[in-house]
Amino acid sequence: MRPTAFVTAALLCVPAFLHAQTAAEIVDRVDQLLRGQSSEASVRMEVVTEHWSRSIDMHLWSLGTDYSLIRIDAPPKDAGTATLKAQTELWNYLPRVDRTIKLPASLMGASWMGSHFTNDDLVKESRIIDDYDIEITFDGERDGNEVWEFTLTPKPETAVVWGKIVEQVRKRDMMPEWVRYYDDLGEVSRSMVFSEFQVMGCRMVPARMVVTPADKPTESTTIIYRTITFDIGLEPSFFSLRNLRSQRD
Amino acid sequence: MQRVWWLIGWRNLGRNRRRSIIAAAALAFGYFSVVILVGWTKGLVAEMIGNGTGVLTGQLQVHADNYQPDKSVYATIGGRDGADIAALSAVMTSDPDVSAASPRVYGGGLVSSGSATAAGLFLGVDPDREVDVSLILNVIVEGRAPSLGANEILLGSEMARTVRVVPGDEVVIVAPAIDGSLGNDLFIVSGIFKTGLVDLDRTMAVFPIDALQFLMAMDANRVHEVAATVPDPWRAAAAADRLTDALAAGEVAVDVESWITLRPEMVEYATLTESFQWILLVIVFGVAIFGVANVMLMATFERRREFAVMLALGTRPSGILASVVAESLGLAVLGLVGGIVVTFPIMVWFHLAPPDMGWLFGDFTMQGALMRPVLRVEYPWTMTWQAALALLITAVAAALYPAIRAGRVPPADTLSGR
Repeated sequence: MRPTAFVTAALLCVPAFLHAQTAAEIVDRVDQLLRGQSSEASVRMEVVTEHWSRSIDMHLWSLGTDYSLIRIDAPPKDAGTATLKAQTELWNYLPRVDRTIKLPASLMGASWMGSHFTNDDLVKESRIIDDYDIEITFDGERDGNEVWEFTLTPKPETAVVWGKIVEQVRKRDMMPEWVRYYDDLGEVSRSMVFSEFQVMGCRMVPARMVVTPADKPTESTTIIYRTITFDIGLEPSFFSLRNLRSQRD
Repeated sequence: MQRVWWLIGWRNLGRNRRRSIIAAAALAFGYFSVVILVGWTKGLVAEMIGNGTGVLTGQLQVHADNYQPDKSVYATIGGRDGADIAALSAVMTSDPDVSAASPRVYGGGLVSSGSATAAGLFLGVDPDREVDVSLILNVIVEGRAPSLGANEILLGSEMARTVRVVPGDEVVIVAPAIDGSLGNDLFIVSGIFKTGLVDLDRTMAVFPIDALQFLMAMDANRVHEVAATVPDPWRAAAAADRLTDALAAGEVAVDVESWITLRPEMVEYATLTESFQWILLVIVFGVAIFGVANVMLMATFERRREFAVMLALGTRPSGILASVVAESLGLAVLGLVGGIVVTFPIMVWFHLAPPDMGWLFGDFTMQGALMRPVLRVEYPWTMTWQAALALLITAVAAALYPAIRAGRVPPADTLSGR
């Protein structure tokens, strides 16, 4: 590597969290951790339900909070199936019938590809700090790690799915350890656990996330990041219906 | 009661014929009102149950024992291994009260055409058998039913409008399959149905059962439900009990439910209307009792001198009382005969050819069942004799007070004009 390139890479890899101080800033940083301004990732999703288990390999592209494109590479039965999120709209491309369909609003609460994520999880556009008030509800040592526990309560005027979100972030490297989503009645609805923290695309990220619905503890969806690169200069025009249909990856 | 009191009472009816006819007509009209109104409410309930169970539910359903209440797509009869559905259907139709049975598969997903997409409830049926169980394939307004072995689909009218398709058009169907994959395929719209129930017309799409099973990655022997027809809906609960026993010996664990447990709101409504019949009976004859009492009071008042003479000649007050009650009973018999003569032909007419009120109002729904705007009358046999009895009791009750007063007329004072 040439020296200038090394310096450039080193500068680009300056950890952003050096400046993150307030609760809102930390939570926002965690929220943006796997997103960046733009990103491209290769991901495996393992879904375990009471009735079936399956793994899906896919590629993701994202630009800010408004645009994302997901294309499935495996299993062969679903390969080529793609989902495009552009602003608040969600489109699916079905290679078997070579058709693109737009998901109606009534299906936003439905599961995405059989996982424990809903279409709404893909579509929600705003940053978490815009919708929630954040306070530190624990600051100290847990399981040998110095951690913060943040409690996020919806701002009065926002319409959000959750009644409350609680997340734990370790102070050492500001990595999220777990997030619990509560319903309006104050019951845990689902939880997300992060692990396998490693540097990918110049960032320390949790490469593994496990989502477990509270009412079905034996079920889970695991997301494993294989590669991820950030700030790759994608334009909104990349997230077009034409690109949704194209087979390239 | 001696024959003579009957005679006197009967003859008195002829003394003021116009008044007697009007009083008898009031009783006849009361009888007519009660019987026809009760017949109409029975007709309404029968129409509600017939349509409510006939459009889709069927009068009887067999599911896997874990199907209710979640109606999970995984809860097929016989579990993952499925079951011998033909044998199960044969057991069901062998019951004397069950006339037909039809297997069904349920799913959900998207129906899309061009840029329009709608979420739908998918129903897979064997078209040849479903026609004997539900109305869904009998209310096709355009095109035809889907055929087994073909990628065809029958859409509700509202859904067809939402996705802007007509028979012959192609739609994309997407449905989560039971292996976790996303089933999707192209289907041709074979027809459009309209039940008049907006929810059904907006959300339901009917598939050939094999096509939906393939789409949802289900084996051919896996179904969610076998629905059956019991021509007399009120025998469905007993048939369900018999089938529960008959199927308990089989290898697969099933629940047999009649519409009475599937649609409890309809049973509640039927019970409510039955109690309403009694209220109606009391109101109508309650009004009649005052009318008849008025007539009898007038009649006895006019005959005070006659009663005074009779008492002076040695008639006992009980005899006077008997003659007045007999007169009232005579009036009741006239009213009853008149009522029956008017009511029964109209009842038969309204039963066989219900007047169509479509010119006044359109179809409407009741307890989730579509109702035709017709004045259908079901024969209220119990009420025909109950109302007759009520009419006679009304007449006697109405006559008692005037009769007692007549028996107490003071002979000397009355005859002297004091």
